Amino acid sequence: MEGCKAGDRKMQELLYKQTAAKMLAVCMRYARDRMEAEDVLQMGYIKIFQKIKEYRGDGSFEGWIRRVMVNTAIESYRKNLRSLNVVEIDEAYEQPSTGFDFGTLGMQDLMKVIQKLADGYRMVFNMYVIEGYSHKEIGETLGISEGASKSQLSRARAILKEEIIKMEGFGYATYTG
Amino acid sequence: MQPIRDKDFDQLFKDAFAEAEVTPSRDLWSSIESEIIPKKKRIIPIYWLSAAAVLLIATIGILLYQQQNTTDEHKQLASNIIEKTKSEVHEPVAKDTAKVVENVVPVLPVRSKAVSAIAKTKVKQDVKPALEQQQIITAPEMQKQETTVAKVEEPKKDIKTKIEEAILQPKEETVIVASPTAAKTDEPINDNEQSNKGIRNVGDVVNLIVNKMDKRKDKLIQFRTDDDDSSLSSINIGPFKIGKRNKK
Repeated sequence: MEGCKAGDRKMQELLYKQTAAKMLAVCMRYARDRMEAEDVLQMGYIKIFQKIKEYRGDGSFEGWIRRVMVNTAIESYRKNLRSLNVVEIDEAYEQPSTGFDFGTLGMQDLMKVIQKLADGYRMVFNMYVIEGYSHKEIGETLGISEGASKSQLSRARAILKEEIIKMEGFGYATYTG
Repeated sequence: MQPIRDKDFDQLFKDAFAEAEVTPSRDLWSSIESEIIPKKKRIIPIYWLSAAAVLLIATIGILLYQQQNTTDEHKQLASNIIEKTKSEVHEPVAKDTAKVVENVVPVLPVRSKAVSAIAKTKVKQDVKPALEQQQIITAPEMQKQETTVAKVEEPKKDIKTKIEEAILQPKEETVIVASPTAAKTDEPINDNEQSNKGIRNVGDVVNLIVNKMDKRKDKLIQFRTDDDDSSLSSINIGPFKIGKRNKK
């Protein structure tokens, strides 16, 4: 880490090699696909090496890197939002009445269903469920109301549940390969 | 199977992604590396930037000077030289006269007021005009300037004697003190020899600005403005120094 602060190229590469896989998993959750995720990952690491002097050692270093990465992903989403101007369809999703077996679901399956979500839903779901932001923080960060954050979260959950059931119904075994 | 509660549902995702890893497929590091390297190289262009700024100032200076030159027609030359010669002898004369005044006062108590007044208005005025003004007026060409400047140096040495002479001729003094030019000479003496000469050309303008911004002895850029023609005398950009300030 000290080497990274001093701008040592070898140390920066080492840091990248040690953390990139985890960070790509973070980026994947926020992106639509792998390509987008890797773009965010690249931007995130450039930011990390620029800002590494600002890291004062409060909290774990990995946590700090993760925060930078998440912020980069959110920033990227907001930029895309402006350029794409995505209109989200507000359909009412009903709670699926049937339950499902979680034990058989792997991380990659969950990643797939998250990436299928509309961008806004994916952002709110990631930020609230995985990163632990409050609805207030999400609202402030994404420029939406607290209520909108809450309703988007519940819709996101409903969509995810449906998707998971679909996945299981269409032969879950094929997904795990 | 029971419908799942939100809390459990969320926990499922949390657990699944807690230690999730996805190996980057592309050779991302090389592209990240290539993005970081240019940041380090950006330090160098600062020199280029300052060099460009100097060039810009110089070009504007030359352009403005050329404009000014066409309108001015060297009419100011004579008065310029007077001002300059005055300012060069400023300090020594003032000090010397002060001393002389002290000496003179007890000897000539009646004239003390007149003498002190002369001291305040810088007696060099009295010393100079008699000797030099004629020369300057009759020979206003630029080429003669150096000779006049050279002669300015000489009087300094025997300034006391001249001041004594001046004091011994009080009639002349009072006339000059009363003359309107006396007020002009009362300009404050500055550390920078450039500023007390007034602004006559673009070189002076540049020097003034640079003096305000750059407090080093060797300025970023310095024009020699002794003659009416301003010429670049020194440049100091960090490691690059061209020319030295020609101090007396």
